[in-house]
Amino acid sequence: MATVQEAVRPAAMQQAQPAIEVSHLTKAFYDSEGDRVTLAVSDVSFSVARGEFVCIVGPSGCGKTTVLRILAGLEEKLSGTVKLHSATPPAMVFQEASVLPWLTVSENIAFPLSLKGVSRARQDARVRDMLALTGLAEFATARPHQLSGGMKQRVSVARALVDDREILLMDEPFGALDEQTRLVLQQELLRIWETTGKTVVFITHSVDEALTLADRVLVMSPRPGTLISNLTVPFERPRDVVEMRRDKRFWDMTYEVWRLLASPARA
Amino acid sequence: MSAAPVTLTEDELRRLKAPARRERLFRIASYFSPLLLLLLWELSSQFNLIDRRFFPAPSAIAGTAWRMTVSLELFQHIGATLRRVGIGYVMGAVPGIVMGLILGLSRPARRVLGPIFAALYPVPKIAILPLILLIFGVGDASKFVVIAIGVFFLMFYNTMGGVMQTPQIYMDVARNAGATRFQTFRRIAFPAALPSIFTGLKLAAGSSYIIIAAAEFLGARSGVGFFIWASWQTFAVSRMFVGIVVISVMGYLTILALEALERRFVPWAKH
Repeated sequence: MATVQEAVRPAAMQQAQPAIEVSHLTKAFYDSEGDRVTLAVSDVSFSVARGEFVCIVGPSGCGKTTVLRILAGLEEKLSGTVKLHSATPPAMVFQEASVLPWLTVSENIAFPLSLKGVSRARQDARVRDMLALTGLAEFATARPHQLSGGMKQRVSVARALVDDREILLMDEPFGALDEQTRLVLQQELLRIWETTGKTVVFITHSVDEALTLADRVLVMSPRPGTLISNLTVPFERPRDVVEMRRDKRFWDMTYEVWRLLASPARA
Repeated sequence: MSAAPVTLTEDELRRLKAPARRERLFRIASYFSPLLLLLLWELSSQFNLIDRRFFPAPSAIAGTAWRMTVSLELFQHIGATLRRVGIGYVMGAVPGIVMGLILGLSRPARRVLGPIFAALYPVPKIAILPLILLIFGVGDASKFVVIAIGVFFLMFYNTMGGVMQTPQIYMDVARNAGATRFQTFRRIAFPAALPSIFTGLKLAAGSSYIIIAAAEFLGARSGVGFFIWASWQTFAVSRMFVGIVVISVMGYLTILALEALERRFVPWAKH
């Protein structure tokens, strides 16, 4: 059973055609007041296969968010190349509450569609699907200030999925949530990913979140951020986020990643 | 989560609820405390503790107000003032909001045009009233303009501040969703600035009445400001007080109306 699932994993199947290719990416910031240059990302290269779920893990300030913002086109790179093989621009799920407070849940989800002159009927149909997919059906007309942090992040995910882009970029979307809510949303995200088949790049500072979700984990060193490891996560899919914690390999890998992150020599 | 059944004694419950009961009493008292001031004034005037020529008793002022209401004399002045404030307010608020949005969103526009507004803003609006009378004449046009100028700057600075305080993440959301510049302007910057815009609208309403009162003192044949000034010149003190109360109430009601609009259009902000 497990081997069959292994075989149909999109990552294993379509390794040949990458969705994202990043090579020698470097990014620095210049602070004119202190005349200081900060090297945020240094010579980062990786690629992500179509339909693959990749997590980038690293300590705060290691430049992982910067990498994601460059992929999203929200930040200019300094040098290197970034290639996205996709017909649509990537959709982003942001770190903190990015839900627009003046719109209802439905209006927030419809936002990307409403900008492109999609018909009302089509918008409503898509929003209904997204509400159902993300478990928000009862909250369609709620205002963001009436929602919990977890619910708001569901709205962010729904909004990123609504116009069906091929690549999904997630910037520590569950970072501010409590552990229980986080586990629930991780399970939901896996279910959504399995039904939509998106290419996902997911940033997190949590090692076990990365191992729970990803096909592959890229480990970044502290600033200036550079890739120090590229680990394939062996667990079969579909995954149960609680059950997989009984697997000894989960803890062995957790240990391995922690050792990498803790090593001052940057293996 | 289910609440445990209440098993507190009478006395415990009484002590538990005591602060809330006191709070209710204070709230009731807060409605009446301004009336206490009025009562003090009435008694002082009745017993000649203050000069009745300058401070007629509130009851006497109320009597004058009643006669003026019945004779409809007041309404003509209220109407004239309201028309000037209303038209001048809109003439100032609309361009103030638009310029505030533009300069708030565009750093180059802010760098280049910002200093012009910064230089003009501190000029007292009343100080340039003679100049405005010279240009626009003694008719209503000059009143519209002087109010519009006062309102413009308040709306401009409040709107620009609101836009500049928009969390960057909302801008990123718009950009990632593929918003054009105009869509970012209308769908993000404007709603994000709405709470500040309403703050500006309320401040501007207050300042409009200050400006119109002064403008009507100097160059008008109607309006509440004219009425106050004319009453003072004929030493009709209780009529003058009626004018003062009327214009204060007009300002108060305007702000209440704006607050109602704010609750309607900015339901996400805390009030």
